Amino acid sequence: MLTLIDLTQSVIDGLLFGSTYALIGIGFTLIFGVMHKINLSYAATSVAAAYLSLVVVNIVPTPLVYIAAALAGGVLGWMIYLVCFRFLPINNPRSTLLSTVGMLLAIEEFISHVTHGMPLNYPAMFQDSNIELGNFFIRGDLLFVFALGCIAMVALIQLLKRTRLGLATRAVAQQPIAAQLCGMGIATTNVSTFVIAGLLGGTAGAMTGAAVGVLSPLLALPLTVKGLVVTVIGGLGSIPGAIVAGLIVGACENLFQFMRGVSERDIYVMLMLFVFLVFRPGGLFAAPGGRD
Amino acid sequence: MDFYLGLAQIIGIHTLLGLSAWCVLHTGQVSLAQGGFFAIGAYVAGMMTTIWHWPLLLALAMGAMVACAVAFVVGFPSLRIKGLMLVVATTAFSEIIRLFFFNLKYRVETEGGAVGPDGSLGFGGIRYLPTHGWSTFEVNVLIWALVAVVLLSLWALDRSRVGTLWRAVGEDELAAQSVGINLTTAKVSAFALGGAIAGLAGGVYAHYATHIEHGNFGILLSTFAIAYPILGGLSSLAGTLLAVVFIQGFLLEGLRFMGDWRSLLFGVLIVVVMLVRPNGLLTRPFKLSILHKGRAGAE
Repeated sequence: MLTLIDLTQSVIDGLLFGSTYALIGIGFTLIFGVMHKINLSYAATSVAAAYLSLVVVNIVPTPLVYIAAALAGGVLGWMIYLVCFRFLPINNPRSTLLSTVGMLLAIEEFISHVTHGMPLNYPAMFQDSNIELGNFFIRGDLLFVFALGCIAMVALIQLLKRTRLGLATRAVAQQPIAAQLCGMGIATTNVSTFVIAGLLGGTAGAMTGAAVGVLSPLLALPLTVKGLVVTVIGGLGSIPGAIVAGLIVGACENLFQFMRGVSERDIYVMLMLFVFLVFRPGGLFAAPGGRD
Repeated sequence: MDFYLGLAQIIGIHTLLGLSAWCVLHTGQVSLAQGGFFAIGAYVAGMMTTIWHWPLLLALAMGAMVACAVAFVVGFPSLRIKGLMLVVATTAFSEIIRLFFFNLKYRVETEGGAVGPDGSLGFGGIRYLPTHGWSTFEVNVLIWALVAVVLLSLWALDRSRVGTLWRAVGEDELAAQSVGINLTTAKVSAFALGGAIAGLAGGVYAHYATHIEHGNFGILLSTFAIAYPILGGLSSLAGTLLAVVFIQGFLLEGLRFMGDWRSLLFGVLIVVVMLVRPNGLLTRPFKLSILHKGRAGAE
C-alpha cells in the first residue's frame, strides 16, 4: 500500500515536471514542422535564455524574471536562425545539423566560461505553499511550473489557430510552395517560427531553473535528448503529440527513477523510445501532411 | 616530441572513428550511434586483454566483431526510419550503451589484483601496452597501420560495386530503389561496417588511455564522429582525415594558448566552416558559398 502511494506520488511529480519537456518538444516540433530541419541548439538556447534572465533577478519581481527569460529566448531564437540557418543551403540537412551542433557546444561552453562552471540559483515561486491531497503531496513550485507550461501552450495554440501569423506558419508547414503563391514570405515565416519557438524555449528554461532550483550548463544536453525523445514519441510536427509525450516522458522518468534508481533511469526512458519506434514509428499523433 | 606522438595517436583514433561515421553517412543516414559502438569496442577489447589475457590484435578484432554484430542487430529496426527519427533513435542507442557500461560491474581477481569494469568508477588498469613494453612510437605505428588498412579498404570499397550501391542510396533512395537496389541490405551493411570500424577504434582507445569510463562515450563523441566526415566533405576519404587533423590538431591542441576560450571557439568554428563550406571542406567547386549563394529560405 505504501509503495503504491509512493509510486503515484512519483508519477504526479514527474507529470508536473514533464511540462518542461513538453515545451522543449513543442519547440523542436514547431521548427521541424515549418522548415523540416532540426535545431539541435534549441535546448541550449533555452538554458541560455534562463541564464540571461538572471541579469535582472535582483531588480524586478520574480514573475518578471520569467517573462525576461521568454523574451531573451525569442531574441536568441532569432539569432540562431540568422547564424545557423539563413545562409545555409536548404537542400542539405546535414549542414544545418552540424551548424546547430556547433552552436550547442559554443553556447554550453560560453555559459560555463562566463559563470566559471558554478551552478547559479534560480528563483522559484510558491515554494512553501504545498498542497496535501489525502495521502498525496503536491509541491507548490512544481505545480506553478506546470501551470506556467499550460499557459504557454494555450497561448501558442491560440496564436497558431487565431492569428494571421499562425495561419501563415501552418500553411508554410503544409505546403511551402502553395503558401508562397498565396503571398506568404517563407523567410519571414521561418524567422517568426524561430522567435515563437524561442519564446517557448525561454519559458521552458526558466521553468527548468525554477523546478530544479539551480541553473547549470550541464542541463543543456539532457534537455536536448529528452526534448528529441518527446518530439519523436509525440510524432514529428504534432503539437498535441509533443504535449502528451512530454507529460508521459516526465511521469515515466520519475517512475523509473523511483523503481530502479537514478543511474538506470534513462536506460528505460530510451528503451521506451525504441518500443515506440518499432511499434509506432510515426509517433502518438501522426503529423499532418508534410512538405514533400 | 612525446607531445606530438601522443597527439598523433589521438588523431589516428579519431580518424578511425570519423571513417566509421563516413560509411553510414555515405548511405545518406545520419547516425549518432558511433559513440556507442566505440564504447562497446573499448570495453570488449579491454576486458579481453585484462581479464582473459588475449593478445592485443585478437582482442581488437573481437571488439570490432562484437560492435559489428550489435550494429547488425540494431541496424534492422533502426534503419526502417530515417532523417531526424534516425538521429534520435541512434542518440538513444548511444545513451543506452553508455548507461549500460555506467552500471556494468564485472570484477575478476587476478594475480595483480581485481580487474574489470567497476560501474561508475570506470574500467581502469588496461595495461597491456605498458606491460608488454610497447613504446609510444610503436603504438603509433600500430594505430596508423590500422588507419592505413581501413582507409585503403574503404578507398577500394568506394570504387567497387558496393561503394556505388551505397552512394546511389545516399544520393537518392527512391531512384536507387527503383533500379532494384535493396535499400535494407545497403544501409545495414554500411551500418555494420561502420560499427566494426568504430569498435576497432574503441579497442585501440581503451589500450591507449588505459582507463575508460562511461563519460568518455557521451553524445559528444558521436557528434564528433559525424562532424569529421561532414566537415571534411563526404565525397572523399581524405576530407575526413583533414577534418580530424583540423579539429584535434589545430582547434583542440594548436589553440591551447587561448586557454579556456578554445573550447568555445571550437563550436563557433564549426558554425563558420558550415557557413562558408556547407558541403564540407574538400568538395568541388572550391569557392566560398556564402559569397555566391543567396539566402537559404528564399528559394
